[in-house]
This record gives sequence, C-alpha cells and structure tokens, in this order.
Amino acid sequence: MPGKLVSIITAADTAVRNQSLDAFCAPASLAGLMAECAELETFRRRSDNLYERVRALFFLYSIHRFHLPRKTGVAQRGLVPFHGYEHLLQRRFEEAITVFLGCQQADGPSATISSALAAAYQRLAFQTLADQVRRSVRTVAGNRWMFRMGHPADHPLRLRPELLRRAPDGTFPILRERTPVRMDMSHSGWSDIFFLGMDYPEGARVLNVSIDLGVHGRDTAPRPPVEAYLRVIEEPLLRLTSVDLGATADVTTLAEVFDFARDYLGLLKAAVIAAGIVPPGIEGSGQSLDQLLARVVGPGRGLEIVSNVNNIPKGSRLAVSTTLLASLISALMRATGQAQSLEGPLQESERRLVLARALLGEWLSGSGGGWQDSGGLWPGMKLICGALAQEGDPEFGISRGRLMPTHRILDANDAPPKVREELQDCLVLVHGGMAQNVGPILEMVTEKYLLRSDAEWKARQEAIHILGDILAALRAGSVRDLGALTTRNFFSPIQTIIPWASNCFTETLVERVRASFGEKFWGFWMLGGMSGGGMGFIFAPGQKPAAQTLLQQMMSQTKRELQSALPFAMEPVVYDFAINERGTHADLIAGREAMLPQAYYALHVPKLLRADPQSLPALRRAELDKFGAACRTHPELGGMVQALFDRLLPRLKTEDGGGQSLDALLEQNGFDRALHEQIRDDLKNGRIGLAQNRLPVNAEITDVHDGDVLDATNGLRAEDIEAGQDALARGELAVVSLAAGVGSRWTQGAGVVKALHPFCKLGGRHRTFVEVHLAKSRRIGRLAGAPLPHVITTSYLTHGAMEEFLRRHQNYGYPGPLLLSPGRAIGLRMIPMERDLRFMWEEMPQQLLDEQAQKVRESLRAALIGWARQAGEGSDYTDNVPSQCLHPVGHWFEIPNLLRNGVLARLLEERPGLKHLMLHNIDTLGADADPAMFGLHLRTGACMTFEVITRWIEDRGGGLARVNGQVRLVEGLAMPREEDEFKLSYYNSMTTWISVDKLLAVFQLTRSDLASEEKVAAAIRRLGARLPVYITLKDVKKRWGHGQEDIFPVTQFEKLWSDMTALPEVACSFAAVPRLRGQQLKDQAQLDGWLRDGSAAHVDSLCEW
Amino acid sequence: MQISKAIITAAGQTQRTLPLQTLVDRDGTPKAALAILIEEVIRAGVEEICVVVCPGEESNYRAAAGRHASRLHFIEQPSPLGYGHAVWCAREFIGAKPFLLLVSDHLYLSRSAKGCAQQLVEIAQAEKCAVSAVQSTHESKLPYYGAVGGRLVHGRQRLYQVESVIEKPTPTEAEQRLIVPGLRAAHYLCFFGMHVLTPAVMELLGEAVQQAGARGGVQLTSALAKLAERQRYLACELEGRRFDLGASYGLLTAQLALALDGKDRAEVLAGLVELLAARSGN
Repeated sequence: MPGKLVSIITAADTAVRNQSLDAFCAPASLAGLMAECAELETFRRRSDNLYERVRALFFLYSIHRFHLPRKTGVAQRGLVPFHGYEHLLQRRFEEAITVFLGCQQADGPSATISSALAAAYQRLAFQTLADQVRRSVRTVAGNRWMFRMGHPADHPLRLRPELLRRAPDGTFPILRERTPVRMDMSHSGWSDIFFLGMDYPEGARVLNVSIDLGVHGRDTAPRPPVEAYLRVIEEPLLRLTSVDLGATADVTTLAEVFDFARDYLGLLKAAVIAAGIVPPGIEGSGQSLDQLLARVVGPGRGLEIVSNVNNIPKGSRLAVSTTLLASLISALMRATGQAQSLEGPLQESERRLVLARALLGEWLSGSGGGWQDSGGLWPGMKLICGALAQEGDPEFGISRGRLMPTHRILDANDAPPKVREELQDCLVLVHGGMAQNVGPILEMVTEKYLLRSDAEWKARQEAIHILGDILAALRAGSVRDLGALTTRNFFSPIQTIIPWASNCFTETLVERVRASFGEKFWGFWMLGGMSGGGMGFIFAPGQKPAAQTLLQQMMSQTKRELQSALPFAMEPVVYDFAINERGTHADLIAGREAMLPQAYYALHVPKLLRADPQSLPALRRAELDKFGAACRTHPELGGMVQALFDRLLPRLKTEDGGGQSLDALLEQNGFDRALHEQIRDDLKNGRIGLAQNRLPVNAEITDVHDGDVLDATNGLRAEDIEAGQDALARGELAVVSLAAGVGSRWTQGAGVVKALHPFCKLGGRHRTFVEVHLAKSRRIGRLAGAPLPHVITTSYLTHGAMEEFLRRHQNYGYPGPLLLSPGRAIGLRMIPMERDLRFMWEEMPQQLLDEQAQKVRESLRAALIGWARQAGEGSDYTDNVPSQCLHPVGHWFEIPNLLRNGVLARLLEERPGLKHLMLHNIDTLGADADPAMFGLHLRTGACMTFEVITRWIEDRGGGLARVNGQVRLVEGLAMPREEDEFKLSYYNSMTTWISVDKLLAVFQLTRSDLASEEKVAAAIRRLGARLPVYITLKDVKKRWGHGQEDIFPVTQFEKLWSDMTALPEVACSFAAVPRLRGQQLKDQAQLDGWLRDGSAAHVDSLCEW
Repeated sequence: MQISKAIITAAGQTQRTLPLQTLVDRDGTPKAALAILIEEVIRAGVEEICVVVCPGEESNYRAAAGRHASRLHFIEQPSPLGYGHAVWCAREFIGAKPFLLLVSDHLYLSRSAKGCAQQLVEIAQAEKCAVSAVQSTHESKLPYYGAVGGRLVHGRQRLYQVESVIEKPTPTEAEQRLIVPGLRAAHYLCFFGMHVLTPAVMELLGEAVQQAGARGGVQLTSALAKLAERQRYLACELEGRRFDLGASYGLLTAQLALALDGKDRAEVLAGLVELLAARSGN
C-alpha cells in the first residue's frame, strides 16, 4: 500500500496530483509524517521517472524543512554528523542522506537532523534536474557528434569557401551577424525555466518580442544591439575580442579555449565550443589548436571572432548575454556550413539548432537562463510554448515535456500592425540600474511549482490565464488592456509566487509614475526574472516623450534615495526600442566595407601602431591601411584619432570618492597606520593568516553540559517576566543594534548598508532591518510604559547613509531616544596572500558545484590567485572607489566605540537609571527586549547573558563550547579542526544582555571615567590587546563599464565580540532561546524559507509599525 | 531493366591526370587506372562507355584506355559548371535508358566473385530502379562525400530505401537528417562513386543546368535528392571497397590493395616485410 503522498505524485487525475503538500502536512501527526517520509524515500529510489523522483525529493525537503521540526515529539537539539556534512559538500547527496537517515533512525527525529536532510534532499533534487537538462542538451540531434570528436584529424567541419576569398587588398571578408534582443510580455510565472517546460509543457508559455535597442539620448536610433563578427586570419590561433568589455586574447591552446573564467571572453569561448569549431569532446585530449584550425580553416590560418553589444548595460533583463551567445553561435554555424544560410535570416530548422547550441553553451559556461532567452533569433512577436515529448525525442519516457520548446510567430491577425506601432509609441523601456542575481529566484520557482502550495498554484494558473488575455488584447489591438494585464501580472501572480521579484525601488517608481501621470499611466511591466533592472512603463498615446524624460529624472532621484540601501550597479537609463521583424540576420562584407566595430580599432590599433611596421604581418598592415582610409571617409569614425591618442598616452587617473581621497578618509576615520603596518608585517611573514586564526590543535573542544545553558525555549518563569517588566518600566534598558557592516554576504560585496535594505514586505510594505528593530522597541516601550532608548552603531561605511535615511524617514516615528553611535576605527583592505586564498579554497571544506560550474569556478580562482600575485600580496587594496577599500574592524569595537564616542556617557547622564544594554546583530530579526529574557538576565546576575539557539546545518561559524573545560563562545574561524564545530549543539545568536557597570569594570572603568577620553582610550587598548585578531577574506565588488561587476576577495582583520566570553574575569551566562528569536538572516536566498516557515509572521507579531 | 551504357566522368580539374596513372593490376599487368576501371564496367556486362573529359584531353585518355580505346565515346565538358553538368553532357549518348555512372578517380576491389559494378547492376536490374552504391563512413569523412539517409528495405540486408541526399553534409545536418538504423554510431551512408541511374536523372539535371546557367555549380546530389522524392531510389552496400586515388597516398593505397589481392601477393608482402625490417633495424 503506497503512502498518501506517493499516491498524490503518481495520480493520473490532475486534481489529485496537484494537491498541496502543506495542506496534507499541517494536520498530520509526527508518526504519520515519518511513515510518509519512509514511503517517499523508497519510492524516489526506485522510480525511473524524472518528475516522480524530483517531486518526491522536493516533498521530502519540504517536510523536513517546514513541517517536521514543528511537530510535537521532535527533539530541538541535536548534532549533524560531520562525515554526512562532508558528503554533502562533495555532492555525494545519496551518501549524505543515508548517513543522516541513519542518525535519525538511531536517535529519533530532531530539528537538527531534519535541517541536514532538507539540505541534502533539496540539492539532490536540483542536481537530478540539472543532470537531465545536461543529458537532453547533449542528446539533441545535431549536438551529439560534438561529444564524440576527440582528435583534429577527425574534425568534420570545414570553413565555407566564401570566407576564404580575399579582397584585392588581401583582407578576408567579414561575416557579420546582427541579432535583436528579446523582451517578454509575460513568462506565465517563469514558465520558461527548464523543468517547468519539461514537466508541465501545457503551462509553459511565453510571449516574446524581438526588439532593436538604443540608449535614449545617446544613440541616434534603435538597432539590433547584439553583433557577432567572424573572419579568417593568417595566424593559427583564435583571436577573441569583446569590444564592450575591452578584452581581447590570442588563444593558442585547446586548454585556454576551455578556461572560461580566465578572462572576460568566456562567452566567446563557449560559443566556439558550442558551435562545434572546438567541439566539447576534444577537451582534455592534449591535441593542438593549430592542427584543429588547420583542418577547419586551413594550414597556418585561424579565426578572429569579435562580439559587440553596443554598450547595452548588463542586467537589462533582455537576455543580452544569451542573445550574444546565440548570435556568435549562429555566425560560426553559418561559417562552417552547419546552417545553409550564409547570409540573411535563418530558416526555422536552423534557428532551432542554434537555440539547442545556445543551451549547450550556457551550460558549458556555467550560466543559465530560460529557454526563451534566444528568442531574438526569431522575428517579431512569437508565442513560445512547451511541447510534449514524442517518440524519438531524447526526453521521451523520461519527462512529459521536451527541453526544446516550439515557436509560433504571431501574424497580422494575432497582432495587427497598428497594435505593434501603438506598443512602440506607448511603451517606455528602462533599466533601473539594479543588477541582481536571478538564479535563486529560478530555483524557488521550481520548488514552489513542485510543492503545489495552494496560493502559488492558483497564482500560476492566473498567470497562464493572463497570457491568454494578453494575446486577446493584442488581437483586439488594445495596448491599454495590455498595460492593465501586465500590471495585474506583476502585482498579483508574480509576487504571489515570488515576493522577491519586486522591491522597494520598483514600487516607489510605480507609485511616483502613477502620481505624475494619473489616468495616462496605463501599466507597469516587469521584464525577465525580477524587477529593478529592465522594466517597462506603458502610457497613453502621445505621452512617451515626456514620460521618457520624467522617468529618467524619477529613476535617478529614487536611485539617489535608495542607493545606500539597495545594490545599484549603474545609473538608470531609458531606452529607445523598435520591434525587429526579421530576427537574426547576417551579411558578408568584403573589401573596404569589411570593417569591425569602431571600439575594436580603439582596442587593437594602439598595439599595432606601437609595433615595428616591418614586423607586422601583411594582413595586419592591410588592416591598418583600410582603417586609416575609413577614418578619413567615414564620418562615424571622426573621433577615432582622439580616442587612439588617449589610449596611446593615457591620462592620469583622478580620484573618485565624492571629492575625498582615500588618504583623507583614512585620516578622518580613526585609521591606525601603525596597527595596519604591524598587521601587514605579520601577514606577510605568516604570523597571522587564515590558518593562524585557529586555536591550538591540542585545545580540547567539547559540547556544553546540560547545566551550562539556561533553557528559555519553552517560556520562562512568571517572576522573570515580572522582573523584566518592572526593570523596563524603570528605564533600566537600552537596545543596541549593530549596523556598522555592509552585509558582504547579503549583496555579495555590493557595499550597501544592510541595516537600510528594504528586504521584505511586512505590515503591507517594504521594511528595512532598522525599521523592524525600531518597531519592536516601540512595542516593548509602549507595553512597559516607558520609551526604550535605541542605539544604532555605525561605521564610516554606514554612518552618513544611516543618518540621512533616518532623517528622511523622521526616525520612522520612533518615540524614544534614538542615537547613532559612530565608529571610531577603520581598516584598509589588503590584497590577499596566495597562502590564504589557497587555504580557503583548497583546505577548508567547500561546497563542490555541479561539474561544469565547478570547472568555471576553479578557472576563476586560478585567475584571482594570479591577480593577487600580480597586484602584490599583502599590499593595500586601493584599486576601487574609496568606500570599497575601507573596512570596519569587527563588532568587538562597537561597544568600545560607545564608550569612546560619548554616546553611552550621554545616555547615562540623561538616564542614570540605565543599567543594562541588549546588544544584537542587525540580521537577528526575532530579537527584542523581551521582558522575560531581561528578567532571566537579571536573575543570573551575570556581566553578560548570551542568547544561543540549537544548531541547524546552515548555522555555520562557531558555537557554544567547552574549551579545555571553560564554557565560552568560539568563532568558526578559531575552530582548530572543521569537525569541531559539528560537536557543538548550540549556535551563537550574538544577542547579548549586558550589565553596564559590570562591563565597565571589565574595562577597569567607572561611569565617571567615561568623561575622560584618555582613560577610555587606554582601557580599550588594554582590553583589546588581550583579544585575538582574525584575518578574514571578504568579497568586494568593483563596478565598471556599463553595469559590469567583478568580485575580488580582499583581506581584512577583525576582533570579535564573542571572544569576550574567553576572558576569565567576565561573568557570562548562556540562555538557549527559540529559533524564531535567535536565527539570523545572512543571505537573501534564506528569505523565502524565512517567509514560509512562519518566521516573518513571528517578527511581524513583535512589531508595532 | 537492361543497363548497357556507362558514363565515366573525368572532367574535374583536380582529377584529370589521376586516371592516367599507371598501376599494376591484380594479374600483374601494368595498366592505366582508367583501363582498370573500364574492365570493371565491362565485367558488369556494360559494353558502351562514354568518358566525359575536359576539352583537349581525349587523346590522353584514349591512349590510357589501351585495348579498350575503340569502344569508348568521348564527350567534352566545355566549361566546369559542376559534376551534375558533366553527367548531363552525356545525355545524348544515354538517350532514354538507365545507365551506370562512375567517377574516374576511384578504383574498386570486390570481396566476392562478382565485381562491384556487376553487383550494383544486378541489383538495379532486379529492383528496376535507380540504385547508388554506398559505404558506411565515419562522420569525420563527411566533408568529402555525398551522403544518403533512409531505412533498410523490408526483409533485405544492405539495401536501403533512400529518403534524403545531401552533398558533403556537416555532422550537425547528418545527425538530423541522415541517421540510418542499423549503422554503427557516428557512421553514415556515403556515396561509393558508382550509381545506376534512370533517365529521370538527366531530366532533373537538365532543369538544374537551365536554372544555373553560366553560374554553374550543378550538383548531381541535388538531382538525386529530387529523384528520391519522385521515384523509388535505393542505396546498396556492396561487397567490396573503393579507393580514392585523389586522397593522400590514394594511389599507393590502391596499388597495395590491388597487389595484395592479386597474383603477386607473396612478392609484395615480402617486399613490405623487408622494408619494415630494414626500418626497424635502423
């Protein structure tokens, strides 16, 4: 008798199959759920069907992540076996699951082991999907041979003779491919992601439009933004140039072709491989590239490939990267006869093949979008739909749908010329300036689709329905209806499925546009995976010119208001666009007309001019002649001479730091040059570093005993609550929120103030972290009858933005004293030591990625090690805007800052009754000045009471331990061995209740000493010297070009608050609190789970907005 | 269906001297490659042979044909307008009859008692339709040959119903259109250089010649692709091998194959062993 959940998965009746898991699990008993899990586990191991296996895995993930931990009878405290965790990191998911299930069998269910099982099931589900996509891409007819070919002598492609015919000046012709980008009018709830199309082809429908583009005010007219150029050269190599990224390389070995992250040319390399010029089967063969090129192009010859996206900014949500990949592949396939059409548009069968190769190229280069992203190959407007797998398809018998969708080009009945014209007259396309990673969103979509949660499943049906309505609006010629539908799509189904598709910036813009244009604003349109980058605003006819101007101003204004809070990669832009009715198109240009893009010459000509003319190959000399002649005759090349002169004689770089140089900023913000040089010296000499952060290997680290921790997970005594309430009423407590950091993990080093990030909608609108903390303090203050003083610590990186933000929002109406505690110390980042990079990447356990993604990562890491060597290990990191070169020096300094900057002294002076502080991290959203916890702290009489939570697998970075018998918190950086952390069942939440006078005593200070700067400074130096310095590596983004971002690992040092527990004179107590109170939000990918598991609702209940 | 006429094409710019090369035949007699090919045709029972040559080449070819010269008709292809055009030049010689077509830069070695051309002619006569000889070929050789796609004729071995024909396909195209059930992975049916064709082919070539005009580029494969749409058209794997004289070491390989299959086999083998021994002794 199969389990009920297995029956849901295998049901033929769609009403049964589409049942929600949550609805089933909510009333189920623990024993019932455990039995269902056992059935699902057996079922997923024996099923051959992709859909059944993956859905069972997601069911298991969801039960362990969201349901089991809440059932009565599940232990909250437990340990994750380290060898299971190692299996997980090495992507041995089946082995990890076996180990975790063994633990569950032996010790009974626990929230800890369920967290580990949830992680393993989820990763295995996505791996299973990725494996199937890879298999499907490889087995598409027309792609298979490339995986068999392993020797140049077997290479079956030859360059078409037309490309080998020289012009009278000796130059070869150029094949130029020009491709429009795609914009989607609706993707029916991200239905273009692979698994949806492969499992639910009926629901996978996208309305996709090919468009030409120009930046409003910069370009004279819209044109196909993506261009690929190809020509023969008289050198046996691949010369690759990306003119937008200013990158060029002569690739001479096969290994370099497969080294994607070595430079900015990964996309061009992926195209060369996916087009079969260097087929994937030859990777690692040890053969030579020149022999291969001799076979394909001719002895002694090679190919030059140039890409150009006309400076269209990254993150446009118009699939520029995938379009470029497809455009390059198309040119290369034409050139080698794999497409019959050398010039003109492609035939339908050729477009489909280029699509299949683009999918392969995306997989090779570790990127990945949806299957609609190569839509620019097709002309005009088209409906792209999933298709049922038929006999002969590689997916037949494995999944319901095929990997490859079908395309139906809309004709004049489907979308009359008038509506196409009106759409161009009414739609304003923009790039808001935000560039965010859509990857996590696409994973969430897959997960939610499989779980069929009620609201989200209904929303999916609504999104499918809206697409039908959009098609009807087009047929009827009503752009107004279209605008209403895309707006409804964004605010209803899209945000129901994925709330994170929206953000505060987008919604503010929509509000402002609506306020300005009223009835003449017809609708908003989210392009692609999420909003904030590419977006559309639809207006009544005649409004477009004014709307374009106003939108540019509004976006720039809104960006200025939010740029400290949200990650913007660039200044917003408004586009001009036109529907492209011919799709990708190629022409062969020869002789004088055979020119490459202008920026190509700016990149290459200086090198040629510097070279001895006699040493230049004849072809290069002919190229120079041609370019020289063109400069004289082509008006668009008029500025080239100046551009070349500037390149040949570069001007000095000027500082860009809001008028302040890095040196001035260091000077003003308490930079300790002597300490910095000491740290550099220690770092270079190997006295400090990642390996040296660790406690001695002979340190004995064990889990704490039962009596070491006070249990506050199941409510506290009435007398604690009463004591806490009384103390609050007497004004004995102030809250301190740590907000000096920029949340490196939160925005991958984008340098925004995490505290100001409007991360989630609570109480009906987007709220920042700081607003949430103030709302909790407001509530507690009201309950206590005395407003609670609230201190927010800041640093150079956050102070100005915080001050301005709070002023603009009138302190969010906070009734109590609200003080900022500015930082008094700053560090200067350094180029990392190769030793530390290798330690982090090679010796510390790492999550291995999917095969191809791992290759790309290793290539990138090799490049970064090369960068560190070249830039000078241990030297100052200054090659960025000043704010990205500085770093806060660790949260230990934040309490000393309170002493040093006079904020505590002022508070104590105004409120002599203040006796305690509650310190918490900005991302510990459940922490509030709970009277019961306060009462507990008072009962202990400790200097400090630290709140800890039971560990889940994602809680990495140390914990509560007995170190050589002493109960203390240990940072993850200090663990002598990785496995030590897995012996610890409690994780530090960082929330600390502090008795002010006892703490001052630790500093050997009294309240009256706070008036003396010298005394305070000396006390801080004295205590600080007893605490360890940790060397850490943090990611920092460097922005350049048009929305481009590079991420570099940089070295910085920190002193950490939890090390206070190691000082023998500090009386500490530890209290275990519920997870909802103590958990932290470190990564935006956690947000969805946080919303779904009730954490958001819990936080909302603590707030008074 | 009776096949009494054959066309040998020798007008290609790169192949004009290859058929004139002298090889030692299986019987130990030195002959021009052309003469060996003519004997292959005669062995198939085809008596009337037309050789299509470049202008001014007739005398060289006549000399190379030796004792068979008297039975040959020569037709000149006035300008190089494609292989299909060369075949079409012989239309009047063929009239309205089926014919055997061979390229002059290939030699054939049968593994059975019957010659390759003889096998092909017998199959065409039995099946009463056009038949092309094909050979299962690895995809790396696709740039050199025309190839066909199709399926086995029900109940027959090595005989295929042709559904598509493509000249020098890329493997990309081949995977999509030329997969033939039963072949080894990465192998396709490529032309063997030998066909029995029906007069309809001449009509199709005529249309193509008219369309192309002076631009040329008339391909036989395009006509065969159309033939497959109009008539029953088969492909057959013969018991034998072809040798492309124009490939690198093509003449040498063909010579070795002939010698190892003939009366001087032992002598040639001994010579080879001696060469190898002397080389390894160095």
